[in-house]
Order: sequence, then structure tokens, then C-alpha cells
Amino acid sequence: MAAKKLLQKYGIRSIDSSYVKSADAAVAFADGDPIVMKVLSDKALHKSKAGLVRLNLGEEKDIRKAFADLSNRAKRLRPYKIIAQRMAAPGIEMIIGGRTDQQFGQIVLIGLGGIYVEVFRDFALRICPITRYDAGDMLDQLRSKNVVTYNGKATKTLEDLLLKTSKLLAENNGIKELDLNPVIMRANGYDVVDIRILK
Amino acid sequence: MNLEPMLAPRSVAVIGASNNPDKVGHVILQNYIDAGYEGKLFPVNKNAERIGNLESFKSVLDIGEDIDLAVIAIPAPLVPQVMEECGKAKVKTVIVVSGGFAEIGETALEEKIARIAIKHKMALVGPNCLGVMNPRSRVDTLFLPTYKLGRPTVGGVSFMAQSGAVGSTILDLISSEGFGLSKFISYGNAAYADEVDILEYLIADKDTKVIVMYLEGIKRPKEFLELARRAAKAKPIVVLKAGKTAEGAAAAHSHTAALSGNYETHMALFRQFGFTIADDLSDLLYYAKILASESAAATGNRVAVITNGGGAGVLAADAVASTSNLKLAEFSAETVKALKKTMPILSSMRNPLDLAGDANYAIYGNAIDILQKDKNVDMFIIVALFQTPGADDRLANELVRYKNSIGKPMIAISIGAAYTQSHKTMMESAGLPVYDSPSSAAKALSELLKYSEYKRRRR
Repeated sequence: MAAKKLLQKYGIRSIDSSYVKSADAAVAFADGDPIVMKVLSDKALHKSKAGLVRLNLGEEKDIRKAFADLSNRAKRLRPYKIIAQRMAAPGIEMIIGGRTDQQFGQIVLIGLGGIYVEVFRDFALRICPITRYDAGDMLDQLRSKNVVTYNGKATKTLEDLLLKTSKLLAENNGIKELDLNPVIMRANGYDVVDIRILK
Repeated sequence: MNLEPMLAPRSVAVIGASNNPDKVGHVILQNYIDAGYEGKLFPVNKNAERIGNLESFKSVLDIGEDIDLAVIAIPAPLVPQVMEECGKAKVKTVIVVSGGFAEIGETALEEKIARIAIKHKMALVGPNCLGVMNPRSRVDTLFLPTYKLGRPTVGGVSFMAQSGAVGSTILDLISSEGFGLSKFISYGNAAYADEVDILEYLIADKDTKVIVMYLEGIKRPKEFLELARRAAKAKPIVVLKAGKTAEGAAAAHSHTAALSGNYETHMALFRQFGFTIADDLSDLLYYAKILASESAAATGNRVAVITNGGGAGVLAADAVASTSNLKLAEFSAETVKALKKTMPILSSMRNPLDLAGDANYAIYGNAIDILQKDKNVDMFIIVALFQTPGADDRLANELVRYKNSIGKPMIAISIGAAYTQSHKTMMESAGLPVYDSPSSAAKALSELLKYSEYKRRRR
């Protein structure tokens, strides 16, 4: 949850979530609303592909079954944690990320996210710190720009997220790699669904 | 590092000069003579009394005059001692042409010559390089005979490359273009002078209007980044980076790291700081040509195409529409009215404006007169096919005249063999860039617009 707090400090909201150590804890977290559960482990980068994500768990029995199933699958990925999150409303999945480059220092990235990241490899990079122009130019560079920036508000939201990420990277030199993926973009806002920070 | 004495030396010592025409040192000396170098020329050779018609010296220490540049073309193991002598003789700059250093694993030897250069405050280019060329001061350290490798005319484009082979190929190609060369620097292993020093020099050089660079790696990335932040504000820089596929993908823990490899990061830097990115050697020439000639900055993205061949006009229009930032201009009502009045025989008054196969210089002139007043037109592509009956040297002259007075970016497309080429050369040397394909023309205009916008933004 340290990652979540760090994002919060820079004004990046991430979706409400909690580590859960038991099926009971997961049910309590859900409190009647649909949730997502995922296994977090350094040994698994592609969570969806590895069957480590369960979406849209509304009923208590579904939550309990998913918890048991994920715990079973995660055995070979120790150490691991299971995280429960509010189910994000559907939208366009983006990735926002950063990395410390040995040559040029911190760089920031945006691209088409979720499961499409490596299929389409549609992304743009810049050296930090970036300006608002740079952020806009990054969006402009995406092949999917017409899908991603369907109105002025979406463009502004993404530019803001990029500027905040650039600032976060610049002020936290220890970060080697950062993935916010997916960041789900909707007409009325966004949800940072998954965070990965490597220090 | 002051490279000026290297590029405009008043005196040059060629160490390793030889009477044997197979030796590199022979070719270098001969090229100086052939180029008509007017400064003092001193061959240095341990065993010769004379080289050609020139008195030869056993050592650079025996010359007894100020030496601005020593070109060293002797076996690598002998280089350190000779460089020490250069240091003692107060030689200002040194080019080590010889190979046999870090490129074959002899890093200690390379570090040694770098230390000698630093100790004696001598600028050093090389080793393992072609060296430099400056047609203005008639400096030419290339060991490639002039009958094999064309030498460009004097112009505003400077070229820097690590690779000697790419460098000389580009030089050969530039020699058949109209825009001409300011400085050529092939810096090989970059033991001392590297990308940062050379780029800094070319930015400051008043004869350099456009910098073209072929990069494999960057020796001092942090310093390069700092320089890059202001470099393209000063003048256009066209860059071709090799190594798109060479990357050994390091174990990445995140998607971000998996995507943002070494090549991609370089590209990001170039785009962010207004460099013009070339994907190919031919792009280097296309972009250098327009950036060197274009006195008018692009103020908008709407292109008018005027043609004497319907098909070529449509191809040019397609190429414009295929770029990420250009579009075809829509002519204003006044323009259409004026065109109808002046050129009633035309079938269409739309863009691309087809003047038909019998259009001569006067018809082109009428069309450009009308279109240059149209506020919906920001740039011009003039397709001039010289195979047609009406196109001749008067058309070439007329286009050059408009180019110099129109106040908006203008380029030409002429496709063809000998007759076309002679007109192309004429137009280019008078400052009108000519392209031999619609796609290269449209790409060039597209890059000009990007650069103009960068300049406006970062002013």
C-alpha cells in the first residue's frame, strides 16, 4: 500500500483496494459491491495470462471460491499477496509508466495498456521532466490517439496524469521501474487499477 | 575543445606521408594538393627526404613552425610517441586516422593517446576515422581518392559520423546534390573529441546552417542530453540512429522497461528536443536539403500542389495526405474565380491544380501568382515534369525566382533522367529543393513543418 500512498501524494488516485489474507477478509472488503482479486508476486508479470486475476466477483460464494483458487495457483509464486479491489467500470485501458535509464535518467511512458501493451506496442516516451506540450505531443504520437483522446477532457486528464508521473519520478530517484497498468479511462474520470514499482 | 584549427588550419603536417601511392598517408597528402589547399603543408616521414615536390621531415619536431593540424596515418603502436612529439611541437590539433585501437580491443593504447592529447591540450579526433573535410578552407584528410569519392561543393550542411563508411557514402551522395557541404567530421572511436564536442563545435560554427548526424552510440549521454536541450533551437539537426534491432533486451520487470529500450529512448530524446529524425540514409539527404534551403519557416500545414502531369499531381496529393501533419489546401472562392478567369482551359480548379502537359513557364507563373495570395495555402509543391513540351530551362528559372520571393515554403518534384537531372541541379544550386519522388517531397515538407513548430514553441 506504500505505492498507493506515494501516488496519492502526487494527486494520482488509485482504485480502492486492500490486501486480503483470508476469504472472510475479502468478503468484508467487498461489503456487497463487486470486486476484483489478483495475486501479486514478483515472479508473475503477466497476471491475466497466468490466470491470477478474477474479475467482477459479486456474490459471496464467488469471492470465497476465487480466493481458494487464487491461493492454490499462487503457491508456486511465493512470496505473494492477494489484493482485493473495487471493480472498475469499463473504459479504455492505458499504461502510464516510468523508468530510470542508465544513460539519460528518468523517462516517462504512456501507451495503450492492459493486455494490448505488447501486442500493439503503441506507446510514447519522453525524458523527465516533461512540459504540458510534451505530454500532449506524447498523446499525439500514439497510433490510437483518436480512441484515447476522444474529447478535450480525456486529453486533459491524461496530460495531467503524465505531468504528475513525471514529477513523481523526478522527486523519487530510487524508482527503477514504474507501471500503472491498466489505467482505465472513462468519460467521467479514471481508475488506476494496477501499480507496480521496482526500487 | 577548440576544433577550429583542425577545420581551418593555416598549416598541416601529414605524418606518415609517403611516396608509395598504396599508402594512406600518400593519398591524404595528395588530396590536400589536389584540393588546392593554400596553407603550409609538411610531409613527415622517417625515411624520405622529399615526398613528391615537397620537402619531407623526419619528425614533426624538425619543422620548426606553428602547426595547426597534424594528420597521423602510421601503425597504431607508433602513434603515442608521435603524439608526444606533436605535443612538444605545440601542435594545436591532431587527427589519428590509423586503426588498431579500441575497435580491436586495444583500449589501453587508445586511453594512452587520449591522455597525451589532454596533457598537451591538443584537440584529438579519432583514432580509426576518416577525419575531416572543409571545402571552404580546402581541408581534406580523407584517404579516399577524389576519382573514387566525389567531393561536395561549398554549402551549409555539416555532417558528423562515427562510421567512416557511412560518412564517406553520404559525402559521395552529397556531392551530387545542389546544397553543398560546410564541414564533414568522421570521428571514429571518439577517444577524445566525441558527439558532444563535435555537435557543440558545429552549433557554434557560423557557416553551418544544418547539422546532419549519423549516430551509433553516445559517449557522454548526460552531457549530450544537456546540449540537446538547446541544440535544435540554434539550428536544424537531422539524426539517423543505428541500432534499432541490436538491442539485447535486458530482463525487464515492468512493461514500461520492456517497451522503452535503448533505441526508443534515443528517439524520445530526439523528438522531445526538436531533432529531425531520419529513418534511412536517403532521409538524411531529403531533410538536409529542405532544411538547408528553406528560408521561410512553415506557418501552417496546408499544401498546394501545382502540376503539369495529372498522375504525378495525384501521387503528390496522396503523399501529402499520408503524412501525420500535412493536408491539401482548399482553395478560396477568390482563388477559384481568378483561376477560371486566367486559365479558362483548365478542367479543374481544385487542388492538385493540373496545368496540363503543355503548361509552360508563363502558365506556372500565373498559377503561382494567384495561389500565393490565397490565405488557405501555407506551402507549395510544384511538380515540374521536364519531359513535357512546355517545360524547359525557362520554367526552372521561373520556379527559382518564385522560390526566392514567395515567402512560403516551396519545393519541386522532378522525376527523370539526364535532361531532368540537369534542370534539377540548376534549381537546387539556386536554392530550390528538388525531389525525385512525391513521397520524399511530402516527408521533407512534413519535417520542415515539425521543425518550424518546434522553433516557434521553444523560442
